[in-house]
Amino acid sequence: MAQDVKPSAEAAPRWALVVDLDRCTGCQACVVACHAENNVPVAGEKQAIYGRWMHWIIIHRYWEGEYPNVKARFMPVMCQQCTEAPCEPVCPVFATYHNPEGLNAQIYNRCIGTRFCGNACPYKVRTFNWFQPEFPEPLTEQLNPDVTVRSRGIMEKCTFCIQRIRRAEIEARAEGREVADGEIQPACVQTCPPGALIFGDLNDPDSRASQLARSHRSFRLLEELGTAPAVIYLKGGEANV
Amino acid sequence: MTKRLSRRDFLKIAAGATAATGSAPAVRRIVLEPFARSGPLEDVLPGQAVWYASTCRQCAAGCGIVVRVINGRAKKIEGNPLHPLNRGKLCARGQAGLQVLYNPDRLKNAVRQTGGRGSRQFEPLAWDDALETLAQKVSSLSNPDRLAFFGGLMPDHLYRLTARLLEALGARPPVIFDLHSALEGRAAAAQLSQSFFGVPQLPVYDLARSEVILSFGANFLETWMSPVAQSYAYGALRQGQFGGRGFLVQFEPRLSATAASADEWIPIRPGAEGFVALGIGRVIVEERLGHVGSHRPHAVLYQNVDVREMAAASEVPVETLRRLARIFADADQAVAIPGGYLAGQRNGRASMLAVQALNLLVAQIGRVGGVFLSHPGLTAALRQTPPMDSFDRVLDLIARMKAGEIDLLLIHGANPVFELPAAAGFAEAIARVPFVVSFSPFVDETAVRSDLILPDHTYLESWGYQVPAPGTDRPVVSSQQPVVRPLYDTRATADVLLALAARLGEKAAVALRWPDEVAMLQEIASDLHGSSLGAYDAETLAGFWMLWRRYGGWWSEKEIPREPEATEIVEQPLPVVGPEFEGEPGTYPFYFYPYPSVALADGRGSNLPWLQELPDPMTTARWGTWVELNPETARSLGVGDNDVVRVVSPYGELEAPVVVYPGIRPDVVAIPVGQGHRDYGRFAQAASGSNPLALVAPVTDPETGALAWGATRVRLEATGRKQPLARLESLDGAGRETLG
Repeated sequence: MAQDVKPSAEAAPRWALVVDLDRCTGCQACVVACHAENNVPVAGEKQAIYGRWMHWIIIHRYWEGEYPNVKARFMPVMCQQCTEAPCEPVCPVFATYHNPEGLNAQIYNRCIGTRFCGNACPYKVRTFNWFQPEFPEPLTEQLNPDVTVRSRGIMEKCTFCIQRIRRAEIEARAEGREVADGEIQPACVQTCPPGALIFGDLNDPDSRASQLARSHRSFRLLEELGTAPAVIYLKGGEANV
Repeated sequence: MTKRLSRRDFLKIAAGATAATGSAPAVRRIVLEPFARSGPLEDVLPGQAVWYASTCRQCAAGCGIVVRVINGRAKKIEGNPLHPLNRGKLCARGQAGLQVLYNPDRLKNAVRQTGGRGSRQFEPLAWDDALETLAQKVSSLSNPDRLAFFGGLMPDHLYRLTARLLEALGARPPVIFDLHSALEGRAAAAQLSQSFFGVPQLPVYDLARSEVILSFGANFLETWMSPVAQSYAYGALRQGQFGGRGFLVQFEPRLSATAASADEWIPIRPGAEGFVALGIGRVIVEERLGHVGSHRPHAVLYQNVDVREMAAASEVPVETLRRLARIFADADQAVAIPGGYLAGQRNGRASMLAVQALNLLVAQIGRVGGVFLSHPGLTAALRQTPPMDSFDRVLDLIARMKAGEIDLLLIHGANPVFELPAAAGFAEAIARVPFVVSFSPFVDETAVRSDLILPDHTYLESWGYQVPAPGTDRPVVSSQQPVVRPLYDTRATADVLLALAARLGEKAAVALRWPDEVAMLQEIASDLHGSSLGAYDAETLAGFWMLWRRYGGWWSEKEIPREPEATEIVEQPLPVVGPEFEGEPGTYPFYFYPYPSVALADGRGSNLPWLQELPDPMTTARWGTWVELNPETARSLGVGDNDVVRVVSPYGELEAPVVVYPGIRPDVVAIPVGQGHRDYGRFAQAASGSNPLALVAPVTDPETGALAWGATRVRLEATGRKQPLARLESLDGAGRETLG
């Protein structure tokens, strides 16, 4: 999908997010960090009761077993930034496309709100602005000037904080150096207290993300669908070897 | 990784601003000049971000933060990567701090309530008039004892000022109490340390390097003590550098998010935590487990303990006790944590003592992976941390208010009308006080019952400092500076008190001699100047003051461990005390368990839309209040998810929809605290929900005087009504509505 547009396939990074389920405590810090960084609106109680949410990252909680031998597991799910993304070919206006760094980008001002991409996404991580988001004054001051505020009728989703990727890249270029591993941190990764989220370049075999991706604990969500996600989960309950 | 980021961030972390000294004292001296900084001017361009270091005030932990500021507006809060406590990390509540600053329901100036208290009719008040009224009220008191100060989460310098002012006036010291601290058992934990180690300092549990952790009701990954530092340590516990993976056991009547992260959850009978700890201790002594001889001197502790009785009383089988005793004693590094739920019982002190004694028994006090005290080092002089008061001091104040012995009540950083058990009668007592002044930036339930509201700045506009408690592996002070100019005509309460003292003259003016709070902070910070231990030092005081703001505090470069020494109290047999509950078991068959919400804490987060919308980790519920019932309990009552039940205690009742919760004992009913605000702004008031403090008996543990918030029994009545709860998870498996 659109891979031929890469200027040089060798040099381009492949951004990936590693989610260590053994460390995740379900604390929700990533969720608020994402709201703050990406100008994600809130749905309000009425819409929330209706089953809607606007979070770009949500933490699934799964129950296993019955009382008293019951366990709960947490699993943060955000856009999986698939290599073979089901959301991309269905967009009639190319609002969702594959960028040279392997990200599924969403071009808000192309989006006409068909929601086809959301229907096609097997991970259900795309959210749709059914209403004009409201930021009662002076809450508008909290908005991040690096990120668009989406209006009614627009589909949105996790971008791996592309503005933070660009910021680090621009700074590195200005200083005449390469971006170091670990320097780019999406807002969720930056705040995660137990260090369950690790961001890095899969095309760099030495990056921490690459190393963890090779762990025996690694798996991808709904791997059998052939979407080849760039989010790599590490199974909980065992040590890394 | 931290190192590399640190350097970059250090360059970006800007100090406060140049001083624009005012002529009059108590004029707010320093406001930010976003483009005139200590660095070269060409560094800062319009539209470019600068980072200011400060301290998070969303809970008492005192994490370091850096705030991204663009054109004088705060845009994002992140953890301070240099800070040794939270190491760049921050929790959900810390991340939401921008909405405290930019909250649409903030008070924009000082106000007087014109239609009488509770009328919610406010009239703007000039600060000079406000100060004059306040000074006149104080000086017209017939006796200084008729003045009372009720504080909650206060920065250390403000507590210091308040305590000095009250002392100079001859009034009693401030009463410091808030619900969050009560739920985490802060006062009781300090008392436990006092009797165990001889200092009232909260201990640090070395979770990162422990192999086995027995956590008794400590939800240390959610709200207890220093959740960010503890979560950071938890990450290391799980995926150790050398491939180790620690073992965590959680004893709790309800499966909290911390218990969900544990390797084993033991649904213990409420109030029986001490019995389990005593049982495990007795097994270790009897079977001579663990390192040879380590327990022998402590055998006397367990001479009154019978393992079978303990097993029966706690409903934890003897085999489980034996198994856990072996795991615990055989580990090289192991630690037992007495948590907040223990402190919330009427046998709280006995239970906490029994748990802490386990650390002594296996010689983990002062050992890697065990229990430490934070080393004060040079920060000792700064440690005038507000001592959390136990609940009996609050009850005493309420009694004095009711008896008409208080003429002037000042309230800062607490919302007692909302936070105290309704049955304690604060709302009735405050009506008997002739004049009440609130310093709240928001019109909360207590401020609405005040004559004057003199709003403090919110924390991102404020000066201050805090010695984090519990601390970390080295001496630390977190410093706070305004990251933006104050948005409105609010005034720092410290400056108000200083101005008040100047007006009152005499002793008060001598005791509070600083012209403004910044001068006071500069004087305090200068204590640390010239130390070779610090992560930085400067040749001049001015340079030190700049770095103090740039770094967001002062800390030692290296780890300085401090080994506590157990006092002789632990050479006597441990008391075996059973819990007591309010309410007849026949009429009120369930134990009531109000628990702190991960998002809203004790309710102070409920005016922030991000936190209202934040799914509870366990139930995925947002916005409302719910009642958690075991599936079996729900079945026997004939209710399911979203069916409204009435929960009745001997003290009050509330109605809320049910969440059928597989991780709770059948005899326990759990409700999160935080909702049910009648005031406190549009987001808090819009949320459906009720305040579970209406049900809680205002009783204490007689040993510590701590609020026994878990010592109430309730009964349940089905109402036949349904009320949908805003849950993220789909209950019918049909998926979600977000796209459809």
